[in-house]
This record gives sequence, C-alpha cells and structure tokens, in this order.
Amino acid sequence: MNKLLEIKDLHASIGGKEILKGVNLVINEGEVHAIMGPNGAGKSTLSAVLTGNPAYEVTSGEVYLKGQNLLAMPPEVRARAGVFLSFQYPVEIPGVSMTNFMRTAINEKRAYEGKEPLSAKEFLSLMREKKKLLELPDKLNNRSVNEGFSGGEKKKNEIFQMAMLEPCLAILDETDSGLDIDALRIVAEGVNRLKTPQNASIVITHYQRLLDYIIPDFVHVLADGKIVKTGDKSLALELEEKGYEGL
Amino acid sequence: MKVSKGEIFERVFINEPVNLCIDQEADSQVKIHVINASFAITVNQLGEGCKTEIYALENLHGSDSVTAETHVTHAVGGGTSNQLIKFVLDDNSRGRFIGDLKIAPDAQQAEAHQTNRNLLLSDTAEMRTQPQLEIYADDVKATHGASTGQLDESALFYMQQRGIDKQKARQLLVNAFMKEVLNTISDETLREQLIHSLDSLDSY
Repeated sequence: MNKLLEIKDLHASIGGKEILKGVNLVINEGEVHAIMGPNGAGKSTLSAVLTGNPAYEVTSGEVYLKGQNLLAMPPEVRARAGVFLSFQYPVEIPGVSMTNFMRTAINEKRAYEGKEPLSAKEFLSLMREKKKLLELPDKLNNRSVNEGFSGGEKKKNEIFQMAMLEPCLAILDETDSGLDIDALRIVAEGVNRLKTPQNASIVITHYQRLLDYIIPDFVHVLADGKIVKTGDKSLALELEEKGYEGL
Repeated sequence: MKVSKGEIFERVFINEPVNLCIDQEADSQVKIHVINASFAITVNQLGEGCKTEIYALENLHGSDSVTAETHVTHAVGGGTSNQLIKFVLDDNSRGRFIGDLKIAPDAQQAEAHQTNRNLLLSDTAEMRTQPQLEIYADDVKATHGASTGQLDESALFYMQQRGIDKQKARQLLVNAFMKEVLNTISDETLREQLIHSLDSLDSY
C-alpha cells in the first residue's frame, strides 16, 4: 500500500494559543479515517492546517503528501495537488456563479497537471453527470456559489465539487452537521461512490451516525490536540455508548 | 435641463466627467449611469410620480481621484429615487462620495434609497463618504447605507481551497462586486459588452 499522507508531530496555534499539540498520523491510499473527539479538541484546526488556512500558524512538525512537503505549498497548490476540504460552513460568494467558479477551479487544476482546459461543452456535460450523483437541481449552475442554498444543499454542493475535482485526499469536516437523514444518505452515497483504491478520506465527525453510512477503516480520537486512541469502527460505537470520558 | 411630463431621459456615461442639473416634471423618468468618471448630478423632482435612478461604478487605480456627487430632492410626493454608488479603490487612489437626499415637507409617500458601497484593495487607497439625508415629510419610505470594506477573506480562502489562484480569486470577487452596477444598465448590448470585458479577465 502506498503512503498518501504523513503527519509528523504537528503543532499549530491560532492567535498564540496552541491547539494541536503533536499530531501523528499516516494515511495510505484506499483508506477511510474517522477523527472523532470532543468540542475544542482540534478537529477543525487539523483540517484548516492541512489546507493552509492563513488564520492558523504551524509552530512545528511536518506533513507530506505523496512525499511532497505539503506545508511549503500555498493553499491553491495543495488543492491542485489533490487535497480537498468539504467545509463545515461553506462560504457564500454573492455574484460569482457556480459555473464560473467551478470552471475556473477545474481548469486551474488541469493546468497544474499539464492538461488543456476543458471546452465549455465538455465542462457542462461533466457538471451534468456529477450533479446527478448528488441529486442536485440544474438551476444551481446559474446561482451564486452557496448563496441562498439550504443547509443540505450547501453540503451536497461540497460533495458535488469533490466529485468534479476528484481529489486524492478528501477531508470531510462535520459534513453530517445540519443534515436530515435523507440528505445524509445522499451525501454519504456520493462520498462512497467517489472512493477508489488510489484516494483516501478523513471524516471528521462528532457522532457515530455518519459512520453507519461511510464505514471507516480506522477511528481516531483527538483530545486536547493529540490523537489519544486509535481503533477500528467499533471504537466509534464504544464512544457513542460511553462518551469521551469513558476512555 | 428639464425632463418634461411623462418623458424618459436615460444615459450611460463612460470615462467622461458629468455635470448635470435636471428638473423632472410629473411622471417623468431619469436613469443615469456613470462609469469611471467624476460627476455632480442634481435632480429635482418637481412633479408627482417621478422616477429617478442614479448608478455609478468607479474602478480606480494608481493615483486616480474621483468625486461622485448627487443631490436629489423630492419636492413633491409620490416619486421614487434609487441610487447605487460603488467604488473599487486600488493602489493610491482616492474616492469621495457626497450624497444629499432631501424630502420636502410636501413630498408625502415619496420613496428614496441611497446606497454607497466601497471596496478597498490596498492599504494606501482612501475613501471618504458623506451621505446626508434631510427628511421633512413623515409618510415616506427612505433608506440609506454606506460601507467601506475589504475583500472577504473567508471567500478568498474558499476559492483557493478549490485550486483557484489567489489573484484570480480576488478578481472574481471584485468583478462580482462591480457587476451589480452593470446589471442595472437597460441597453442589453452595452450591458453584455461591459460584463464580458470584466469576464474576459477572469475566465478561460
């Protein structure tokens, strides 16, 4: 199995306050890793740091994506190299249409890979194909990015973008929050269908519920900035029953 | 100048300074766009049922300096006025908006809106905005808002996370900000042409 992501003794802070206090994690191609933990443990900080959010400062440690120094890359290069974040709170961008946004993103990635940009026709047929996966309406194309979308539509739209960009590492940050059971099923099925032997996912969640649909190979418990326990999917059930204090 | 009863006066000024004083008679309409130029526009609604629209887009670079000035008076009732004035300020540019909006005691049931939004793209650009409302009638609908801010950092990061170069992400956001004004141009050919010239900067 090929190593996809390697995190070594990662420390990070925001506003001078240390949140990650030495995270170690190896993710191989084809694996699904769930990260669970109480509020404030650093789950969202980890996703922010891996994607290069400028609000956070990495104080020490190393991260490699397919052997490349991830922390040295600006956020857009990390994205083009295949790191995708499904945001916990997707951002509304008034005045920028989904079509224009997505076409720019796809063609930036293709340029990075040394490929020709997609023609308008190729692009639109790709949009149509991927939207079916998430049961998203056609009218979405002309709407501004996430503007006026319901909570469920925003999360589906994240997974739709993931389907368009085909990342090698997808980080799903609390993708289940705010979803009713039908939306949750659609989102989870979308994620499952995008799974290949070459890519991997990190699923960040509070609740075991999502893991009934997206079955993890590993479950990690993040508490006070460190991974304190690792197990298989039964660990999630155990946490649901006993809570984090029961560890 | 005078816009006679029931007449429509509509103009788009691009890159040319504008100095206009307009008296509107009853049921007349005025719709003016100014793009990238200083202007001083005075409009007096002297008859009932007038409609006044003033839109401006000032996209400033280098040491550009632009003053936008509007004086709109509802002298009699039943009229509407709408103003949307937007500045994008980069480098060392300077912008100034002076907006007087007056609703006279007799102008009952007037409806007046004035909005000034400014986007600062550099630390050395400067915007001064002086909206002034004088409302002497009690049965009116009037709103005004002025804001000056920077690009939304969370939107920039969101776009970067999808692989979009930061500079291009900025351009997309700035264009979206500017299009709100261009979208109000009635002449479809001109509107599409102006919007297209923005889009050609940010798409493949």
